[in-house]
Amino acid sequence: MAVPTTYDRPVAPARAPAPARRRRRRPTAWIFAGPAAVLFALFFAYPLGASLLQSFTTEDAGATHWVGLDQYRRMIHDPAFLESLFNTGIILVVQVPVMIGLALVLAVLLNQSWLRFRGTWRAVYFLPAVTTLVAYAVVFQVLLKTDGGLVNQILGAVGIGQVDWLNSPTWARVSLIASLTWRWTGYNAVILLAGLQSIGKEQYEAAAIDGSGTLSTYTRVILPQLRPVVLFCVITSTIGTLQLFDENYVLTRGGPDDATLTPVVYLYKAGFQQLDFGYAAAIAWVVVALIAAVSALQYVAFGRERRQ
Amino acid sequence: MSTGPTRRAVLATGFATAASSLVSACAMGGAGGGQARDIGGRKDDEGGKVSGGITVWSWDVAAKAMKRLARTFEERHPGTTVDIVDIGYDNAYDKIIVGLRGGSGLADVLTVSGSHMPRFTGNFPSGFYDLTSLGGRYGGDFDRAAWHTVTGKDSAVFALPWDIGPCALYYRRDHFRAAGVDPASLVTWDDYVTAGVRIKKATGRKLLIMDSTDAGILPMLLQQQGQYYFKGGRVALDTPEAVRALTLMKSLQDEGLVDYEKGWDGLVTGTKEGKATTTPTAAWWTGTLTDEMPELKGRFGVVPLPGFTADGIRTSNMGGSTLCVPAQSKNPRLAWAFMEFLLTGKANQVSMLKREGLFPAYLPALDDPYLSTKQEYFGGQAALDVFARLARNIPPVEYNKDDAKATDIMVSAVTGVMLRGKDPRAALDSAARQLAAATGRERVK
Amino acid sequence: MTALQQASVRIHPARRAGRYLIRLLLVAGAVVSLVPFLWMAIAATHSTSDLFHSPPPFLPGGRLLDNLVRLQDTIGFGRVLLNSVGIAVVHTALSSLISAMCGYGLAKYRFRGRGLLLGAVLATMMIPFQVLLVPLFQMMASVGWIDSYQAVILPFLANSFGILLMRQSFVDFPDELLESARIDGSGELRTFYQVVLPCVRPQLGALVIFTFMAQWNSFIWPLLMLNSEDKYTVPVALNTLTGLSHVDYSGLMLGSLLATLPLMLLFLVFQRQFVAGLLGGAVKG
Repeated sequence: MAVPTTYDRPVAPARAPAPARRRRRRPTAWIFAGPAAVLFALFFAYPLGASLLQSFTTEDAGATHWVGLDQYRRMIHDPAFLESLFNTGIILVVQVPVMIGLALVLAVLLNQSWLRFRGTWRAVYFLPAVTTLVAYAVVFQVLLKTDGGLVNQILGAVGIGQVDWLNSPTWARVSLIASLTWRWTGYNAVILLAGLQSIGKEQYEAAAIDGSGTLSTYTRVILPQLRPVVLFCVITSTIGTLQLFDENYVLTRGGPDDATLTPVVYLYKAGFQQLDFGYAAAIAWVVVALIAAVSALQYVAFGRERRQ
Repeated sequence: MSTGPTRRAVLATGFATAASSLVSACAMGGAGGGQARDIGGRKDDEGGKVSGGITVWSWDVAAKAMKRLARTFEERHPGTTVDIVDIGYDNAYDKIIVGLRGGSGLADVLTVSGSHMPRFTGNFPSGFYDLTSLGGRYGGDFDRAAWHTVTGKDSAVFALPWDIGPCALYYRRDHFRAAGVDPASLVTWDDYVTAGVRIKKATGRKLLIMDSTDAGILPMLLQQQGQYYFKGGRVALDTPEAVRALTLMKSLQDEGLVDYEKGWDGLVTGTKEGKATTTPTAAWWTGTLTDEMPELKGRFGVVPLPGFTADGIRTSNMGGSTLCVPAQSKNPRLAWAFMEFLLTGKANQVSMLKREGLFPAYLPALDDPYLSTKQEYFGGQAALDVFARLARNIPPVEYNKDDAKATDIMVSAVTGVMLRGKDPRAALDSAARQLAAATGRERVK
Repeated sequence: MTALQQASVRIHPARRAGRYLIRLLLVAGAVVSLVPFLWMAIAATHSTSDLFHSPPPFLPGGRLLDNLVRLQDTIGFGRVLLNSVGIAVVHTALSSLISAMCGYGLAKYRFRGRGLLLGAVLATMMIPFQVLLVPLFQMMASVGWIDSYQAVILPFLANSFGILLMRQSFVDFPDELLESARIDGSGELRTFYQVVLPCVRPQLGALVIFTFMAQWNSFIWPLLMLNSEDKYTVPVALNTLTGLSHVDYSGLMLGSLLATLPLMLLFLVFQRQFVAGLLGGAVKG
């Protein structure tokens, strides 16, 4: 969930993508696209190809054997892999909507015209997204400690008993969802706020003259216009979730009892702990397929958006 | 944009070299199979002069110890440089594995945990120098269990053991006294459970701390009974020994004697706060106690681990590392000379125990009078002596290249039993079945 | 700045109450956002052994200077901070420029190989990068770049996200402007630097922040590439504070806190561009 990924489609303008009708000579185009193209060819063509090839092989004591689709077939019967998909599904269904909802509320609050020090507020809410991972891990383990952790102390003060945040499979999922939300809500809010601010002043005024209250101005007039930006946040968060590694790896290593295992943590374990690189590569390409499928879905959603 | 031409030139050169080497890398199939490289005959070594420089990867106190002793080595061998790099522990194996697979980029000497060594030599048989001709003669000087981890097929030697982690039971003197339990009476694990119940009743404290995301004390209990996850290459997750170990853990859980804490800091905090009255663990725990909880001086004592039978083995092993030379090394002779200097002399080994708390696998060092000194921190008990006596009895166990797979499956089985109340025998049976399927190995029976 | 309710001069009491409620909510959210940082700051002023108390200390202690000195002694914090800054600055400058150029090429030209390039951009974005580590490492090793800064910087210079972001910004750039620059006799590259780039400064600002952030916090790749302690970046150096049986938590907290400050600073300075650039001209009402 580091950097948002497909910026491209959801925020594409209402206009069709530029026809790129400049009929300039090809070499000119390569002056611009060349450096990046060379870098891709140099540094990614081989690794991508190698990993794809590897996903059709297995290794035994240093010798490589071709096994066709076996590694892919293996996933279907691998309870740990299926569990990792299930966990990802839960995060997609629960965490992403909750986070985007909170971010939306936050963005609307920050968008109030009378609010001063908006820059500072924005920076404060953005802060979690720039935390280094080491600190993130240690801090959350201290906060969520069962006995004496800050969260449980606060809960205790209001009369709620101790919660075993990181040791019970169910609560570990809750903890992961909460800590993901902590880290990325502000980030999404900043993006949504930018969207809100790019909507013209007149729109708010027109709605006010119509006599709509603040709330209905937002729900009826402003939010529909924000839809592409919301979609952008949803898509980047979805891709981030499908590639989720950092947070659940440092927090729980995917445990307890695989409750926070995700495909990328699983492939990391398969590769770097079990030295089963063929399997790891196969899982990686399944993740690619999943992301591509989601991107395609989003393409459809965007199409509907345009038709409206 | 003055970087333009320079960058392009760099890229062009890089491209040409990369392209040509890729072709060869593909042809070789990466690390490739085959045999370990022999480090060479014994003859050259004796009186042979070493020169040049080597790099050594390590972490934590081990790196600290080597940084200290590398200077002495350099003085004794003019013209050599030994560069110690602390690569951190958490991701050290990522770095080592990538280097082994990549076929280059590794240091000349690597620190590898003893229990990981068979996995590496098994998966990268040509990745290391075979040290048999030079190191074989030291076999008798090292702890049997540790030596077992560094030898492969036909007693080939791939590494030298450095430190080991003989296990015993650290206990809180004050809690035991308050409950009227004599620590010396904990002969069997059944005694341990009974005492735990009594101490809990008297002091309200639990017996030990575990982490719900790993297998807890299970590996220790297995090694105590002479096995790890495989026996003779077969899956041994559901042997009677394993069932006995997990059943013991379940009864600790059922009696409410386990305090769950997350990770290393959870264990340290819990111990410091006195949440649990015992810690069954290895000798290196002493360093943590004296560093992080000096205020508890005089409160701890050490007794041998309880056994599974009255006359059973009273120790096990946790941790311990080895040094090895990857086949990529350009200066294996110097690498070996440094390892030999560091690990096969009593004086250096004792100094590393004294200064960095590294418990030597080198047996002659265990006779040093330093080990029988009374330690104030342990209320005047000669705690090191307890470990020194136990160290010689650690049962060697078979490690295997599929251990990491086994660990994953075993952790699930253990958490299933401990957190979800599954039956130990059934959980282990299903784990064994899973592991057999995942590795294509047979099951013991 | 949007001007909701700007017209109303006198504020209705109910509305005033509403404003207090909003402020309250914002403060509450900010506290949740900041608590972990506050705790990091507090932890940085204690010894590690104090941190192992339960509950951990919630008030500042007096060991900040000790921790700072130790951080400098054990990992040469000053030096690694400098390394991090150097690497991040060079990487960010080159990467942003390359992404901008590529984005421009993709947005404004049709050429053979364009589809392939776009496909490459998308593919590298979707693949979990863990699986690329070994082959990429092999390449670096084969050209003898292990333990060099260029090995840390070069492989990830072509940044898919950046390219797509910039492409999106250029799509809307009026072709007429380009035409007129061309008629003026300005070369393609000069047009790009003098006419086009200044117009997308906000987007470029956003890209700079993202790229810098990602490079600054990047851990695994520098860890794999760098083999000399005096070349380490901050995250790699901090990682060595975690040992097998000893973890220097207070040093870790202090180091992480200090490592976060430059990012905060960058965000505060560039946030206007960042926010504007993130969305480009894309969501105009």
